[in-house]
Amino acid sequence: MSRSRFAAGLAALALLLLAAPFAGLVLATDWRHFGFAHGDGGAVAVSLGLSLVALGLIVALGTPLAWWLARHRVRGQWLVDALLLLALLTPPLAMGLLLAAMYGPYGPAGSLLERAGLVLTNSAPAFVMAQFYAALPYYVLAARAAFESVPRELEQIALTLGHSPARCFFRVSLPLAKLGLAAAVALAWVRALGEFGVVLIVAYYPQGIPVKLWTNLQDIGLSAVYPLLWVFFLVALPLPLALGLAVRRRLA
Amino acid sequence: MRIDYRIARPIELSASFEVEGFTVLLGASGEGKSLLLRAIAGLLPAQGEPYGGLPPQRRAVGYLPQGHTLFPHLRAWQNVAFALSGPHRRDEAMTWLQRVGLADLAERWPAQLSGGQQQRVALARALARRPQLLLLDEPTSALDPATRDDVLAELVAEVHAVGIPTLAVSHDPALAAMADRLVLMHGRRIVQTGRPLDVHAQPASGAVARLLGLRNVFRGRLAGTAGSQHLIWPEAGVSLPVKTTLADGTAVDWHIAPEAIRLQHGGTVPAGTIMAGVELPQRSAYGQYAGLRCGQARLWADLSSCHAAETVRLSLPWPSIRCWPA
Repeated sequence: MSRSRFAAGLAALALLLLAAPFAGLVLATDWRHFGFAHGDGGAVAVSLGLSLVALGLIVALGTPLAWWLARHRVRGQWLVDALLLLALLTPPLAMGLLLAAMYGPYGPAGSLLERAGLVLTNSAPAFVMAQFYAALPYYVLAARAAFESVPRELEQIALTLGHSPARCFFRVSLPLAKLGLAAAVALAWVRALGEFGVVLIVAYYPQGIPVKLWTNLQDIGLSAVYPLLWVFFLVALPLPLALGLAVRRRLA
Repeated sequence: MRIDYRIARPIELSASFEVEGFTVLLGASGEGKSLLLRAIAGLLPAQGEPYGGLPPQRRAVGYLPQGHTLFPHLRAWQNVAFALSGPHRRDEAMTWLQRVGLADLAERWPAQLSGGQQQRVALARALARRPQLLLLDEPTSALDPATRDDVLAELVAEVHAVGIPTLAVSHDPALAAMADRLVLMHGRRIVQTGRPLDVHAQPASGAVARLLGLRNVFRGRLAGTAGSQHLIWPEAGVSLPVKTTLADGTAVDWHIAPEAIRLQHGGTVPAGTIMAGVELPQRSAYGQYAGLRCGQARLWADLSSCHAAETVRLSLPWPSIRCWPA
């Protein structure tokens, strides 16, 4: 009894600590002069629109990779694991610099792509690229765990029932990994939307919300940061919250 | 249908035998029976016929792994319809469910079905694929002991009704008792095949006798020559008179049926009489046995009148003792 009360106390403390900064936000916001800076609307549109594109790319490319990693054991697999960890480990600012070195106007890939008409510096594609790199490793790791939780035997039964491997994937693996994949999508979304460091280097323009918060702070002050932050929460939260609730409901 | 398969990994195994009607491949755990089924289904790299080299989705087999493994995200009828296509797949699935007697439970999720019901749904799903060969992995493992025999009898009857050759692998003698044909595996080799009646009448070795679930299979050694031959039973520390054609010193597996063991009364003590303590009386629907302690060994005998902790004198008549070279 007392032990469970102790655990509950610790849990309450953790929640309190989590809530503290946001309580601060409620107190610090100047509700009587609540207003937006010039360009805030554009930043919201950029963040939402381009994050959705990035999320689409992450799911389209990350899902096959995650499935492959979950289902195949090959020699040198530790290299793949190391690569994923490296992408997670690299500080965002450094990742931005590395991307600029590769895809910037003087980078080996950047100069080639620029000739083909794809500019990966301070452009919408650059913004998407920055978010893609920031969130892809999180998605792949979470999605791999989701696929690993699907009993292999069920996939094999589906094969013996006469379906091609591709149909088995869509009719068995994907539905059974659904809950874990939803969590992976939610994770990728919050990672992509909140990304600041990578975006700052390769896609200062078009300004998304995180960079706009920074410029608002520099140009105007805190009074211009809080209103945009409220809007950021309002637009960013519904997708991961709904996905998370759906997962909880299915598990219960 | 002739099965002829060779597996190299994870263990080396080769098996060649005939499947007719309901065939049971009986073997101890760890013999690679499940691997053999997976190889035939194309889920494990192997060489052999039928279906050699084809991917699993092109092999006309119905594979029921251990635990039956229905798709948990699909209702019973959707599981059966999994292998079906076209506008009538629901009706077709319902027909198969009706055949296995579960049409009423079509809308249930797998988690809402009992082990036996899940097995029947899995059977319907495998049959709906219209296989040429059914593969059942330990079909008795997930069944409730009380209803097991009925569920199995129904399974065998259904397999006979659809007329598809079926290979079931198991270590369960109760399943073997229902087979049309038995294939016995020991030491990763097929050691005997035949009708259950013939196999029971003439087990080819002590290992086969153990697989068939016979009680009282022991190790021993022969001593002496024809005429005055004895079976030395080291576990019990006794020797028994026997008559065999085996040579002096041969290590043997030997067996005596519990029904053949006689209780000795009175003063005269014939050769080969042994002393035993009554350990536990066992009474079940199938009969009445006593577990007897002879030295280190446990001997089962069909004794109706004995009490726990009593010491009894037994005779093991030599014509009932069967010896196989070990």
